[in-house]
Amino acid sequence: MKKAFVIILLAVLGFFLTKTFMDIPFGENRIGEVSSNETAAGYYLNNTPAKTKVANVVTAIVVNYRGLDTLGEVTVLFLASTGLASILYRRKREEEDAERLSLPSSRIMRTGVRVLFPAIVLLGIYVFIHGHLTPGGGFQGGTIVATGFLLMLISYKGFNTDHNRMVWIESLAGLSFVGIGIWGLISGNTFLENIPETGILNSLISGGLIPIIYIVVGFKVAVELTGILDILLNIKPKK
Amino acid sequence: MQEQFNEVFTKYHEVITWGVYGTAIALMLIGLYAILIKKNLVKIIIGLTIMDAGIHLLFVGIGYIQNGTAPIFSPGYENAADRMVDPVPQALVLTAIIIGFAITAVALSLVIRLYKHHHTAKIDQIKSLKW
Amino acid sequence: MVITPIHYIFVPLVAAFAIPLLSKINKELPRIIPGFVLFYNIIISIVLMQQVNEFGYVSEVIAGWKAPWGINLIITPFSGFLVSLISVLGFLIWMYGYRFKQVIDRGELRTYNILQMMMITGAIGIIITGDIFNLFVFLEIVAITAVSLTAFYRERDGAEAGFKYLLIGGFASSLILLAILILYTQVGTLNMAEIADRMHTVPSGIKATILILFIVGFGIEAELFPLNGWVPDAYSQAPGPTSTAFAGIVAKAGVYGLIRIIFTLFDIDGAYDFLITAGLITMIVAEAAALKQTNLKRMLAYSSIGQMGLALVAFGIGTKEAVFAAMFLLFNHAVIKSLLFMTGSILMYNSKDKTINSIKGIYKKLPIISLLFALGAFAIVGLPPFSGFWSKLYILTAAADKNMIFLIVTILAVSIVEIVYYFRVIGKLYFAEDENVIEIHKPTPQAFVAMAVLGVTIIVVGFNPDLVTGYFHNAADILLDKASYIKYVLNVESVIQ
Repeated sequence: MKKAFVIILLAVLGFFLTKTFMDIPFGENRIGEVSSNETAAGYYLNNTPAKTKVANVVTAIVVNYRGLDTLGEVTVLFLASTGLASILYRRKREEEDAERLSLPSSRIMRTGVRVLFPAIVLLGIYVFIHGHLTPGGGFQGGTIVATGFLLMLISYKGFNTDHNRMVWIESLAGLSFVGIGIWGLISGNTFLENIPETGILNSLISGGLIPIIYIVVGFKVAVELTGILDILLNIKPKK
Repeated sequence: MQEQFNEVFTKYHEVITWGVYGTAIALMLIGLYAILIKKNLVKIIIGLTIMDAGIHLLFVGIGYIQNGTAPIFSPGYENAADRMVDPVPQALVLTAIIIGFAITAVALSLVIRLYKHHHTAKIDQIKSLKW
Repeated sequence: MVITPIHYIFVPLVAAFAIPLLSKINKELPRIIPGFVLFYNIIISIVLMQQVNEFGYVSEVIAGWKAPWGINLIITPFSGFLVSLISVLGFLIWMYGYRFKQVIDRGELRTYNILQMMMITGAIGIIITGDIFNLFVFLEIVAITAVSLTAFYRERDGAEAGFKYLLIGGFASSLILLAILILYTQVGTLNMAEIADRMHTVPSGIKATILILFIVGFGIEAELFPLNGWVPDAYSQAPGPTSTAFAGIVAKAGVYGLIRIIFTLFDIDGAYDFLITAGLITMIVAEAAALKQTNLKRMLAYSSIGQMGLALVAFGIGTKEAVFAAMFLLFNHAVIKSLLFMTGSILMYNSKDKTINSIKGIYKKLPIISLLFALGAFAIVGLPPFSGFWSKLYILTAAADKNMIFLIVTILAVSIVEIVYYFRVIGKLYFAEDENVIEIHKPTPQAFVAMAVLGVTIIVVGFNPDLVTGYFHNAADILLDKASYIKYVLNVESVIQ
């Protein structure tokens, strides 16, 4: 009975949504004449190489034009990690009983991961350093690094991440991001403004603060995701 | 290569539109179905993730412009601003994916705690969760 | 460094990132730092409100790209008043919660304070931002912190309430994201002022779809019926200071988001009627449900929903008088409900099983708390000479101006229901036999001061409503004036007549 009702509801919703989206043609040029600055997208495409000297427009949007969103997002990750710690809180004596919850992994896995792990971490770091030149950036790169750690956590029961160091990196990275923003305020401009001299388009050192912010974000995301995975995997075994 | 793709695109415009939008909407509906019907808490969370995936797909798809290329001014593409796809939805989806991940993480931790307490992960056996 | 709106955001952020490190040095620091931060918020509010009084608006550009290319923060008289109120309340709640539960481990103290402080920051962010996607991000900050705080205590059913909240909240954010998506394809921008400017170019079918998605999405945070199923569970399971923050701060931010979207972005006539209908239904269902409750905090939660419904009705009436009355109601509700939750939590802490029956006759042991609770109850049902009376009166006169007899009758009927269930509690407090055998935990001096401040406000505003009404009249004018908002943010003349 309930199933039938839900299916009818979904059919209605599906019909409704499809009708709405049929009015939004796929592939239509909604930016308008790029040089006319009519829409936000047009403005960004028009002015990014000239004003910010960054090749990847998406990076420029995420870090510079809409930097406050990124700051908010980094905060959301931080709060999720804190919330997780608060919900799954274990008192000191339970901490020692915590054991990683995983099945024994095969020999292929263990050998393979040992080779892959440095490569994955290197790839991740590459991605977030070059965020302003090629597709990628802090979030993407950080996630790749965390994936590497996840593989190690699953394969080796004895592999433990250093909680203390992770807390340090997390907090310092967060403070640097906000600090960069405050630097903008102190030097008489607006919060998070891109102050330093922007370099040459398409070279590694270009875009002023943008690659710096993204590197900071990359570290923070990597550490945070690893921390979350670590908490979720270290569950006290049921007696 | 680009010209062949454009040919295909204009000929099959209807089909491609239906394909992209249809997939995204189907994902949203499947996710919604899982949230409303499934009894296992983890499956409900998966449903929420699927619904989010559908919305993200829709968002990125909206940004596509015919004959467009990636919005990156690599060497050789410096004057290609007229031919680039919309970069804004991509930036927004980046943020949205991370937020969806954060929600999933917190939801899973709640499920772990519920499981430890009630020794079950079925929604109908955890009494206070009535709609 | 000049004080600008961004200070509301980055000062708590610095504190939040620093607390995990600082808590290694000194265990007490996580408790103390939010106090400084929230007090600084009050200072920011005073400075900014002066500027608002002088210039009408305060707008700030972020990252050097002015609107609509970048994100901007904007403070109007309405949002400025709400944010100042939240700052003061935030500080009072911190004072109240300073040593709320004696036995807290170091790790829990750290997470609790970070989450509570960031929840308040997120609510402030929702109100001061001028960009719709930024609004979404701050909404998520509030959602995640609120869920984590709901599930804070291990001995209660917090995890279930939290899961329900998260599910509904996650669904709401997906809907809002969908609405933003469709809106973006139509207007090509994310800045709220520019969206308002271009709204008339959107075909009405799509406009209606976007509006519905937004209303459902924000309605969940603003506690509209039937989207408020999560509210009683979350409010009753969360720790005392957190439920106070839910009622006094988070709900206000949700209502503000809804109002800003409907008044400034959309401005279609159907929306106002919808607000009245939805508000009425919310109010009636919530107050009826409150009647049946035996758990004090659940009762207060339902009462809160009802008051939010009343505020939406008042906004929906749409005249200047009505909007002014609605703002006054939001102010009063924030103050009174916070006091009720604060005293209520202490009463519940001293009861055996958290029901109303178990606090019979407790006034002998907790005289001041009971008195303050009674004060709050009198004020919220609208008895003179307390502040709640004036806001209800103004709403009724505004309804009368538009000849909405049905509205007046309903509001009066609902008020009678409120009187019944609040006085039932007071009756049990004062006039029943004391069967209580557990040890009484007296609240801390800081908590007393916080509650006393709220109580005094209720009395002072009750006798002298003109202290605040002049300000709300001005704020109401500005809220209804869409063109000036657009002009101020974009520095251009808008196309709207």
